[in-house]
Amino acid sequence: MDAEGDGALARLTGAKKRYGATTALDGLDLDVRPGELLALLGPNGAGKTTAIGILLGLQEPDAGEARLFGRSPHDLAARRGVGVMMQEVMLPDALRVGDLISQVRAYYPDPLSFEDAVALAGVEKLVQRPYIKLSGGQKRQVQFALAICGRPRLLFLDEPTTGLDVTARETMWATLRRLVKDGASIVLTTHYIEEAEALADRVVVMAKGRRIAGGTVSEIRGLVVRKRIDCVTATGLPVIEAWPEVIAASHDGERTSITATEAESVVRRLLAADPRLSDLEVRRAGLAEAFAELTQEPAAQEQTR
Amino acid sequence: MSPLPVTSAVPAMPFSRVVRAYLSDAKWESIRLFRTPAFSVPILAMPILFYSFFGIVLAGKSNIGQLANNLFVGWTVYGVMGPGLFGFGILVAVERNQGLLTFKRALPMPTGSYLASKLMMAYVFAVVVMVMLVVIAVTMGHVTLPWTILVRMAAVMSLGVIPACAVGLFIGSYAPASSAAAIANITYLGMAFLSGLFFPLSGFLHTIRWAWPTYHLSQLARASGGMESEGEPLVHVAVLAAMTVVLVALAARKLSRRG
Repeated sequence: MDAEGDGALARLTGAKKRYGATTALDGLDLDVRPGELLALLGPNGAGKTTAIGILLGLQEPDAGEARLFGRSPHDLAARRGVGVMMQEVMLPDALRVGDLISQVRAYYPDPLSFEDAVALAGVEKLVQRPYIKLSGGQKRQVQFALAICGRPRLLFLDEPTTGLDVTARETMWATLRRLVKDGASIVLTTHYIEEAEALADRVVVMAKGRRIAGGTVSEIRGLVVRKRIDCVTATGLPVIEAWPEVIAASHDGERTSITATEAESVVRRLLAADPRLSDLEVRRAGLAEAFAELTQEPAAQEQTR
Repeated sequence: MSPLPVTSAVPAMPFSRVVRAYLSDAKWESIRLFRTPAFSVPILAMPILFYSFFGIVLAGKSNIGQLANNLFVGWTVYGVMGPGLFGFGILVAVERNQGLLTFKRALPMPTGSYLASKLMMAYVFAVVVMVMLVVIAVTMGHVTLPWTILVRMAAVMSLGVIPACAVGLFIGSYAPASSAAAIANITYLGMAFLSGLFFPLSGFLHTIRWAWPTYHLSQLARASGGMESEGEPLVHVAVLAAMTVVLVALAARKLSRRG
């Protein structure tokens, strides 16, 4: 079975999806290339899970098209190349971890051996345990074992490390790196830029069902690593906003909050403008702020159009 | 632009592995339900308790062979219908509202395996029920039929698993998860009593006895055991087949509309 002519294993073209009044996907284009780890980064409600759901054939796009290995996602032959870890999943309570792995392995043409699947996911100690008795983090590890046990060429992981402790997360990251090295492709959604930094070859930032930025990790980091400066100052917002390093400034009660590309020169200007400035605080802008800012850009462009 | 070499072709699934996937699903569906007391205890224990009470204790007092044979047929039909009716009626209703079906749809589970595994699970449970009922019938049940005939009757009654699954699937497709168990229970007991399995019917109830799959199944069983029976066996088989097709078609219509 072939992939798309240009080698994309999975592809969304102009995918749109609405749930009632909510737009989950607003014309998303997405390619997954062989041997890459693609991170879908974005806040809650950005459409990451919907994008994966459509690629897996769980939902139908209202417009646009989804292809998996050059086929419809409903095609069983295409899904035999795919492993999946969803955010919320119910598994049969009465089965043990080993039973679940055996059952899912049977769906694939050339699965990993039972022992390899268990070892790669780091669930050796859980094999005999009933699934229902596991902690949340252990359940995630077992779901990861189910995702990789079929030796999939393409792996969809929807926020795989949520709820994991540090050790389990390190194990999962190491396994993901190894799978990519062995030629698998991985699509991973995450809130955490650290996770994308640690693993991804390519990052697509999504907001409001759209792709708002894409590129290598360092390109995205350049986009989202901003500095946040808070202080109490008499200097007015129009003055501050005129400085070249400043992206945005706002008042919150007494405090002035500034988002800037660079902290040092803005602090120097602030101190020069107002010697009585107090309560100065500088930190790296959080992902939430960066997203909020990136998210506003498409809307702003639309308004000026 | 030259296409990238395709290093990620997915290997084809050999037919033997597809068959193994079906069998594996059937095995794990059966195992998980044997391990779920809320399902396995009523399905296995109720027919045995009821048959022991009526078939041994009460039939023993009257000591009439005909009554003992009737009770064997009645409770075996009852026992055979249970796993399919509840296996589909409750589980489909519950599972279609859970993430389990969504996850399975994302996996390359063979298309028919979700239903096939439940059908085979129902057969496994039905066989266990019948073996226990035949053993009770032969050892303590006062039946006058030889055990070879009882086994043949049980084999005929095992056909009832299929219409039972169809009734269950119909309930499971339409009933909300919260009330599916109640609806399945009422249907189960209603079908058992209204088809004259345990006492003779009269009037309107007698007229509409043909509407229940349990009636046709019990008549088939009686005919196969050389007992007094109504109607032609082939007609009963045809009616059961028609009921199955109609119920499955209605269920499929409802399930596919959910997308």
